[in-house]
Amino acid sequence: MTRYIVQRLLLLPFLLLVYSFVIFAIIHAPPGDFLTSYVANLASSGSTITAEQLNALRHEYGLDQPFVVQYLYWLRDLLHGNLGLSLEYQRPNADLIREQLGMTVALAAMAFVLTWLIAVPVGIYSATHQRSVLDHIFTVINYVGVATPNFMLALILMWLAFAYFGLSITGLFSPAYADAPWSMARVVDLLEHIWLPALVLGIGGTARLARIMRANLLDELNKPYVVTARAKGMREWRLVLRYPVRLALNPLISTIGWYLPQLFSGSLIVATVMNLPNIGPLLLRALVSQDMYLAGGILLIYSFLTIVGTLLSDIALAMMDPRIRMET
Amino acid sequence: MFKKFAVALSVCWLLTLAGPGSAAAQDAKYHEAPALAELVKAGKLPPVEQRLPEQPLVVPVVEKIGEYGGVWRRAFLGPADANNYVRVVYDGLFRFSPDGAQIEPKLARSATSSPDFKVWTIELRKGSRWSDGAPFTADDIIFWYKDVITNRDLTPSLPTWMSNSDGSAAKVEKIDDTTVRFTYDRPATLFLSELANQDGPDQSFAMFLPAHYLKQFHPAHTKMEDLDRLAQAASFKSWTQLFTAKATPASNPERPTMAAWLPVSRISDPVFTIRRNPYYIGVDPAGNQLPYVDEVRFTYFADQQALNLAAIAGDFDMQARHIQMTNYPVLKEQEKNGKYRVLIWPTFGGSDAIVAINSTYTADPVLGRLLATKDFRVALSYAINRDEIRESAFLGLGEARQPVPAPGHPYFPGAEWATKYTEFNPDLANKMLDALGLTKRDADGTRLMENGKPLMVEINVVPAFGAWPDVGQLIARDWQAVGIKAVVQIRERALALTMRVANQLQTEVWNEDTTAFPFTGNSKLDMRNGPVQQLTVGPLYYKWLTTNGKEGVEPTEPLKRIMQLIDTARSVGQDGQVAAARELFQIWADNVYEIGTVGLTPMVQGVVVVNTKMHNVPTTLSNDWPLRTPGNARTEQFFFAK
Repeated sequence: MTRYIVQRLLLLPFLLLVYSFVIFAIIHAPPGDFLTSYVANLASSGSTITAEQLNALRHEYGLDQPFVVQYLYWLRDLLHGNLGLSLEYQRPNADLIREQLGMTVALAAMAFVLTWLIAVPVGIYSATHQRSVLDHIFTVINYVGVATPNFMLALILMWLAFAYFGLSITGLFSPAYADAPWSMARVVDLLEHIWLPALVLGIGGTARLARIMRANLLDELNKPYVVTARAKGMREWRLVLRYPVRLALNPLISTIGWYLPQLFSGSLIVATVMNLPNIGPLLLRALVSQDMYLAGGILLIYSFLTIVGTLLSDIALAMMDPRIRMET
Repeated sequence: MFKKFAVALSVCWLLTLAGPGSAAAQDAKYHEAPALAELVKAGKLPPVEQRLPEQPLVVPVVEKIGEYGGVWRRAFLGPADANNYVRVVYDGLFRFSPDGAQIEPKLARSATSSPDFKVWTIELRKGSRWSDGAPFTADDIIFWYKDVITNRDLTPSLPTWMSNSDGSAAKVEKIDDTTVRFTYDRPATLFLSELANQDGPDQSFAMFLPAHYLKQFHPAHTKMEDLDRLAQAASFKSWTQLFTAKATPASNPERPTMAAWLPVSRISDPVFTIRRNPYYIGVDPAGNQLPYVDEVRFTYFADQQALNLAAIAGDFDMQARHIQMTNYPVLKEQEKNGKYRVLIWPTFGGSDAIVAINSTYTADPVLGRLLATKDFRVALSYAINRDEIRESAFLGLGEARQPVPAPGHPYFPGAEWATKYTEFNPDLANKMLDALGLTKRDADGTRLMENGKPLMVEINVVPAFGAWPDVGQLIARDWQAVGIKAVVQIRERALALTMRVANQLQTEVWNEDTTAFPFTGNSKLDMRNGPVQQLTVGPLYYKWLTTNGKEGVEPTEPLKRIMQLIDTARSVGQDGQVAAARELFQIWADNVYEIGTVGLTPMVQGVVVVNTKMHNVPTTLSNDWPLRTPGNARTEQFFFAK
């Protein structure tokens, strides 16, 4: 086990190196660079800059260098633990990411907790009361939940809130608290706003999780050990929760590590549509404006967390289920 | 309008304060915002009489004298949207008037020229101060001249308006603490128009900088190793990046400014807030120090649609930027709820959707020859049904027109030019195309070119403004009806720009704005400005001009004449400028380098949502980027009624 973990960890830097190159190449792939998108942006508001200014800026930002040279500069900075300077914000990328991190994690954690709190009980109920009325209702809701993209749901909810209650539910704070220092009132204001985005973010996952839970549990419920326990007079709820549910949770636990990068990434489209201040819109903006060092930095952290998350999942699974052994 | 314009541009431009100013000054009775009065009482701020210059700027009010207080809520789309701030504060020595026809003094008191326009004297307001209380003097302009605009590291190429005829820098001298003299070796007749835009937009420096603060970031005043250390600490590669960041108010709240509100957070923050400047030089006619509004708060939106939804919900107090014209009916519908009113500020001339035709297209030489033929372009223009475009893409607003200035503006070339070739006449279009030898057609009815291939034209559309993809489709259908197979290609804007520079676009839909300013800024009508700033009228002309005729395509006679006219206008008085502009636009419309469709609509930041409680917002206003709209509405006199 230890050997396995050490091996995986040793592989990490090499994987990251490969990823960094792929990320940089992909960000570089669209035609033009940060300055072309900057000039295009200026043009749509009526202003322009001269060709000389443009060339000077291109030289200043190092965008006139060949691809490989730009990559190596980036890599050199990364090895020094420096994520570089955002071209658009003209501020260190590490600061920008750090500023968004708290809210991103809070939102994702809330969505995660909501997902599990709803999905697991619903899954258990549906499996133990298969083909009951409630099971059918849950099934329909789950299918709709899985099939509806969550940004669509966000848009519908936003429109309903506006059309019937006159509320604009964008952002995580009321205007009065948006840039206020932290206080009890601000926390309350945050809680008033955060539940809806958390629900929207969680709903797709909830539906999927509940379906998996139901299917897994149904498989287990018909197994002989359950019948034996029941025949020996074990109380039904105790029986279900202690044995089959634990086994049915295995496939879910094997994916729990995947939440790690999600905690960091901030759901890109939903966050943009609902104007949530997290990393999602920052990444989208960076990609659109070809602010490559910012986008690259975020994506690299994302890759790192994905690798670590997968490893954590494997470890968690091995600990939960003694039948699983790591082959070395 | 013409008369006012004539006054503004007349010989010996002497701009001084109007009557009410001196009356208020004699009273020596100024009033200030309650919050500032408290600071004065607490001894933390000098009294208002000492904060204001001897002769403050007296700002006329639109409706009535206002009340102090309130937060003006706005929205912005991130750091690239810094011009949102630039437009609100319009922090210049001079500024354009609400109708855009006059240039009025703002931070400066007056500007006077010699009879030959070669020497300009700017007089500042004695006793005016930066937001930190330091005096604002001629030294702040000299610092900009010596250490910034003529410093090759900070300014790689001298802007045209600051150069002599041989390319060297005009001379700028300090006469005394409040007087600066600019001396050119050529007549600089457009000096004031340029000054009205030297307020630090985009990545440029304002022409007056807080020398007392910025010297610590400049190698002429501070040791280079100290600067390197500072730059490195902020992740900058060089001192120039550090200096630029420190000199830009929106990215550095520490930097003193002269504007009515000074930043207290950064444009890279989720909420960008600017707060009342206690040293602002302006008062209303009753002697109340401006601005009325305490604070302007820009909330960050990652997405324009979300911003529009918030606008519809009434979350902003006065905003036109980023409001999409397509939402006009919804906004009007919501108006009855009483939260806000909706105003319309149509664009200042030009055309809000044009098709620029590439006259130097070479990838397909046969098609390229057609695109370069005037009669072909005229036929394309006659084939377009502009009424339909107006009704379906512009909500019935505006009028069919070519890209020329607005009627009433002195540069307006006349109605016959504004509407030239704009009538819907497919028969005439067909006849003209036949006359060009395009008589053979294939089975689908598409005309065949001389090489036997079907005549196909691509229309490039960047969806920068919502209506453009629809405009493109409608034009494509109209062209198809006269036997030209047109394909609409919707492209991301950076890609379209790259293709334009590489001469790969055949035609493109965009708007032609700033037509009232053909001689200043980077005019799209001047072939010397190149495809980065222009539309795809002829990227190879620029190549010819920059390689002294070795490569590219020689500009046609009409285009050469336009360049000549622009040069002439820079050195003649107002009558000469008007004559040059009119001829220029006659040539532009007659040759249809760009086919105008519909203009004078509120497409570009012209649908204005205003809180019903907010007053002194003009109902009509000339709207264009050089006017810094809404800055030309004199935002410091906006106020909230309690």
